[in-house]
Amino acid sequence: MIRFDALRVSFDDHVALQGLDLDIGEGEFFTLLGPSGCGKTTALRSLAGFVEPTSGTLHIDGRDVTRVPSERRGVGMVFQSYALFPSMSVRENIAFGLSVQRVPRDEQRRRVDEVAAQVGLRPQQLTRGVAELSGGQQQRVAIARALVLQPRILLLDEPLSNLDAKLRVQLRGELQRLQREVGITTVYVTHDQEEALALSDRIAVLSEGRLEQVGTPREIYEQPASAFVCDFIGEATHLSAEQRAALAGAGVDAGRDAWVRPEHVSVTAADDRDPAESGSGDLPAVVLSCAYRGSTTLVELEAAGARLLASVPSAEAARVEVGDRVRARVEVSAVHQYGAAA
Amino acid sequence: MSAPHGPVAAGGAPLQADGAALPAAAVVDAPPPPARRRGATRRMLRSPLGVVVLVGVLWFSAAFLVMPNATLLLATFVPDGRLSLSAFERLLSSERALRSLGNSVLLAATLAVTVNVVGVFIVLVTGWFRMRARRVLWLGYATTFVYGGIVLAAGYSFIYGRYGFVTNALAQWWPDLDRDWFSGFAAVVAVMTFATTTNHMLFLSAALAGIDHQAIEAARLMGASTATILRRIVIPALRPMLFAVTVLTFLTGLGALTAPLVLGGEDFQTVAPMILTFARSSSSRDVAALLAILLGLATIVLLALMNRVERGGTYFAVAKVAVPITPQPFQTRWGSVVVHVLAWALWAVYVFPVLCAVAFSFVDARAIMSGSITAADLTTDHWVGVLTSADALGPFVVSVVYSGLASAAVVLGLLLVARALTRWRGWLSSLLEYVLHIPWILPTILIALGLVMTFDRPRLLVGGQVLTGTVVLLGIAYVIVKIPFTLRLLKAAFAAVPDELEDAARILGAGQLTTIRRVVVPVIAPTMAAVAALNFTSLLDDYDAAVFLYHPLFEPLGIAIKRSTEGEANVQSMGITFVYTVLLMVVQGLVLWLVYGRRGAGARRRG
Repeated sequence: MIRFDALRVSFDDHVALQGLDLDIGEGEFFTLLGPSGCGKTTALRSLAGFVEPTSGTLHIDGRDVTRVPSERRGVGMVFQSYALFPSMSVRENIAFGLSVQRVPRDEQRRRVDEVAAQVGLRPQQLTRGVAELSGGQQQRVAIARALVLQPRILLLDEPLSNLDAKLRVQLRGELQRLQREVGITTVYVTHDQEEALALSDRIAVLSEGRLEQVGTPREIYEQPASAFVCDFIGEATHLSAEQRAALAGAGVDAGRDAWVRPEHVSVTAADDRDPAESGSGDLPAVVLSCAYRGSTTLVELEAAGARLLASVPSAEAARVEVGDRVRARVEVSAVHQYGAAA
Repeated sequence: MSAPHGPVAAGGAPLQADGAALPAAAVVDAPPPPARRRGATRRMLRSPLGVVVLVGVLWFSAAFLVMPNATLLLATFVPDGRLSLSAFERLLSSERALRSLGNSVLLAATLAVTVNVVGVFIVLVTGWFRMRARRVLWLGYATTFVYGGIVLAAGYSFIYGRYGFVTNALAQWWPDLDRDWFSGFAAVVAVMTFATTTNHMLFLSAALAGIDHQAIEAARLMGASTATILRRIVIPALRPMLFAVTVLTFLTGLGALTAPLVLGGEDFQTVAPMILTFARSSSSRDVAALLAILLGLATIVLLALMNRVERGGTYFAVAKVAVPITPQPFQTRWGSVVVHVLAWALWAVYVFPVLCAVAFSFVDARAIMSGSITAADLTTDHWVGVLTSADALGPFVVSVVYSGLASAAVVLGLLLVARALTRWRGWLSSLLEYVLHIPWILPTILIALGLVMTFDRPRLLVGGQVLTGTVVLLGIAYVIVKIPFTLRLLKAAFAAVPDELEDAARILGAGQLTTIRRVVVPVIAPTMAAVAALNFTSLLDDYDAAVFLYHPLFEPLGIAIKRSTEGEANVQSMGITFVYTVLLMVVQGLVLWLVYGRRGAGARRRG
């Protein structure tokens, strides 16, 4: 449906995208994820037609749209700030695109009512000024405005970033429901990995204008293709040379960079005589701190002279205290290794 | 009180050095200029809107910004087609001209001190110290917002001048009084000092309000006294703004026209009135042009210096969450008494001429002349005269029409220009912007003189027409002098419209003009209205441009008011001038309230 083909974007001396290759399928909820400045918004704005690529091509439904103006690409967009027109009412905002297309007024009214109901806006809210609405309601207006023209693709540029945490989670669910109902191909930009994992069918992780990995949320989390992805998605401990050497016997390649997620490290008592299970390695450790997280507790350990995180059931964590000498058991099969050690 | 038009103070807000009411600058906080974008010029030239703007700006600039100045330079240095320094020689041999130059520098230097002393005092008593009835004090000092220029000079003349009410009253008790006691250097300095504290009230007050109160509390916790805090924290933070307003004050003094003209007398004439005198005769126009060029050069140098100083250092609050300052209590009772007495005495100086203007508009001119007013002298004749006689109301209507048309034209004309300059930030738009800022660095009288000398013969760029002596030229001058101020604020308004808003309109299918008309203009409409209103009020009582360019059959207000100050024979028109003054104050006050007051009230309600 959407194809980025060696798309490169540069602004003066700064290269924002370094030859992006990406395919997005029809009806997919696809997320561009990465830290600030990674090029995700540039990729989205290129797709919208707001940024002219330096080289490469962009295809929608097999049609080269690289030089096609925004309004002729069949895309709708929800902006980070929502970009609602402050001088217009909610209804006028939603109907703006229709009025530009000179759609008859009755038809405009019908379609605005329809899409407003779809996004959960009440009829009495349509006559209000946009400044009178809460952040969540403004977001609904922005989505309705984008959907009313029935685009083939919906672009969402960090639309939840202006909302408080609770509303963010609520609207995240609604966004997912709406996307499924409408069945529209959606490209979503965020730097929030939790949001990306929860919402997406597939995720592309970007760093410094380069594509690091494309995959389902599970693939991205469980099989990170690079140290960057492993570090950026979820929590992980970058094992030190000493830690790698201590785990070499259990199968860790001491000569390569190694990362392990906290849920693959367990904590046992120091006098535990049980041998490490096959595929695991033991390290003597000291508890530095415990951060209670409800069902689990994140335990920060010092092992082989460096920091190591372990996520353990809170019931087990209750048995250890800061300063305790323990054993950290690392699931070596879950250790991610990349290239040569830094 | 001629002055450059809208220099920029620290922080990017355009300043108006005019002592008259023009506090417009603070309407919008101009964001820093964005970096140029590669290919912007190419995109501008590809867009029909860009091309239209480019052609329009190039024509206007060539005809009215570049050609008049080039003509002025040519008339001065190449009078007969050959390079000549005869203007210099004649200037150097003219004692009057040289004395006027010296007087201008003396006035500027004196004002730089006196205005700062009074201005800083006003800012401190209205913004720093916990004063009784602070708001009333502020209102008194703020009378300069609605009472300035030729109106103020005439008002002072009618009160303290040769035939003024106070002079007449004093003469009754002291027959040997020199009736010209309020004339010459001291009178000009006094009037201009009290007339030009507007910039302090606007910009220095704003800078003071921008100081983080928590920084002051921190200093107090560390044992600093109020004086130490003022000296070590407050004044250093205000230093760049103090420098900016000092430069503006200096420039105001250098280019002063109306105050020396009305109150300077024979002995104290400055450059601007001298330019006016020399310009009246074609044989000495080259000397007038040379004086105007010297004035322009001084302005350019000083503004460049100001910009350079502004660039160095960080003076704004660095606090993430700055807390607004609250008035500081006096530490001693005697300190409080002294400051209160001084503040209210100064308040009386500011308010007395305004009250007199209002009162005298209802008093028979003969009673004012006699220096003694009784209840029997009260009359509404002046008001009835102005409001019912076409002759008396004429100058007011002429000024309203000129100011209204010019302010609407400049805002509407620059709308697309500002949009184009904001959208396509390339070398070409930078060049256009520089050209459009030419009036910013030139005194009004230089602009006016340039226009007079340029369009006194047919010019191809204006369709082979002669414009000098027509009603059009004054309107064009008004548009020119308001370009930099209007452009800066419109550009700031456009820059404040989020790009996303335009992107949203574009992705929904709106073309450029539809986006401007339906999305952008409604957002910036309040700024457009505010700028137009402020331009309107500042042009209403203009004298500096009008004196060179007015059409004898359509005499504007500034000219009529000035004439009423010329000798005893014209004193009868004093009453009418007071009516004009009150009308002007009402109109200017109303506009200021519409632009600032309502917003303030709204903010308070929301707060």
